[in-house]
Amino acid sequence: MLNMKRIGKAARAALGVLLVVGFFTVAMVAADQRTIVIDPGHGGLDVGAKGKFGSVEKDVDLAISLKLKALLEQNLSYRVVLTRDKDVDASLENRAAVANNNDAALFISVHANGSFRKKARGSETFFLSLNATDEESRRLAYLENASPDLEKRIVEDDKDLIKMILWDMAQAAYIKQSGRLAELIQQELNALLGTENRGIKQADFKVLRGVACPAVLVEAAFISNPEEEQSLIDEAFQAKVAEAIYRGVAAFLKLYRQD
Amino acid sequence: MTKSRTPVLIVLAVVLAALIIIFILGLSPERIAKPADAMETPVAGGPAPNETKTVTLFFLREDDGLFLPEERKIPVAGSIAREAESVLLELIKGSTNGLPSALPPETKILQVFLTKDGTAYADFSKDLAAAHPSGADAETSTVYVIVDSLAYNFKTIKKVVILIDGEERETLNGHITLDRALVPNYTLIAKTP
Repeated sequence: MLNMKRIGKAARAALGVLLVVGFFTVAMVAADQRTIVIDPGHGGLDVGAKGKFGSVEKDVDLAISLKLKALLEQNLSYRVVLTRDKDVDASLENRAAVANNNDAALFISVHANGSFRKKARGSETFFLSLNATDEESRRLAYLENASPDLEKRIVEDDKDLIKMILWDMAQAAYIKQSGRLAELIQQELNALLGTENRGIKQADFKVLRGVACPAVLVEAAFISNPEEEQSLIDEAFQAKVAEAIYRGVAAFLKLYRQD
Repeated sequence: MTKSRTPVLIVLAVVLAALIIIFILGLSPERIAKPADAMETPVAGGPAPNETKTVTLFFLREDDGLFLPEERKIPVAGSIAREAESVLLELIKGSTNGLPSALPPETKILQVFLTKDGTAYADFSKDLAAAHPSGADAETSTVYVIVDSLAYNFKTIKKVVILIDGEERETLNGHITLDRALVPNYTLIAKTP
């Protein structure tokens, strides 16, 4: 009898330990369930760039994005949110808002390129460049002057203005990481696609400006180039683009996050 | 009494008329725009008819999309805004060497004006966006061919605001931020022919 009681006690203790460990594991996983936001370019009335054979960029962007979502969800412990999951209009500011409202860890905008030049071809990955106009410098100077104990020293009336400035400059704090993410994705695009390497570039893209996390815009290939248009509408090629972006993202997360 | 007042009234009327004329002339947009331009072209009595000047236009190199220069003669207008408009018109007309232009041929220029801080406002018809092929590459070409061509030819132009139908626009077709003044990007100009 005594023995049975002891075993019972031990079992109960073990069960307790298991419960506690289990609870923390679940809690940790939940805390790590951060979000990656994928932004399929254009949509609705805005068809994006057009191909000679009648394909439009918005469809290609969405197809690649859906494949990328599946890959990320299968292989990483991240929740994936799309800025649009069907053929609808979405404003550039709302796209950034989806990232910020979901406290996104990463923002990836998926595009196909278009050019005035028939020969233009290849893949490239962009991150934001801050256009250094006077206005910009003034805003930055204001932020720099105001940043130590910002909240304390600023009167109520200025708070809306600061919010607006911060929104417009949100990406500024993540430029370095965005550059690294662009680099890692571009490496994988080069390795998997067999397209011309146009490298990583910086541009003042509106959609990236307000995003408060590392953010890039991938131009998979040129839909304006008839040969690349054929690739872009091919499911196997789309899957390769998605795989390349997924690998770049996985490499980035390995570098910057310990989970 | 009425007789002695008449000359005074006439003088007052003349002074008033003169003041009104000065006021109207002073307010006309021509007058507001001119002082800044006048500093650059101190030609007494305006430019001689048929006088031209050489400007540099940028078109796209088929291989890499970098900007290749082409020279054109435009009429000397005595106003930077008018000459800037001529440069943009020539860009829309296109290359004489068969290079792609970054401005759709359908585009119309509504007006160009300058402010004292060296900002040029170039206002285009909506065709600049509607007839545009879209795509990040095409959009980058269009925006910077406009900004670079204006800043390269006119020293007083430091930055450019692109307007569509008189209004500021977020982007042309979803990429480059247009709701602020853009500074030229001369790294897009080809270094070798």
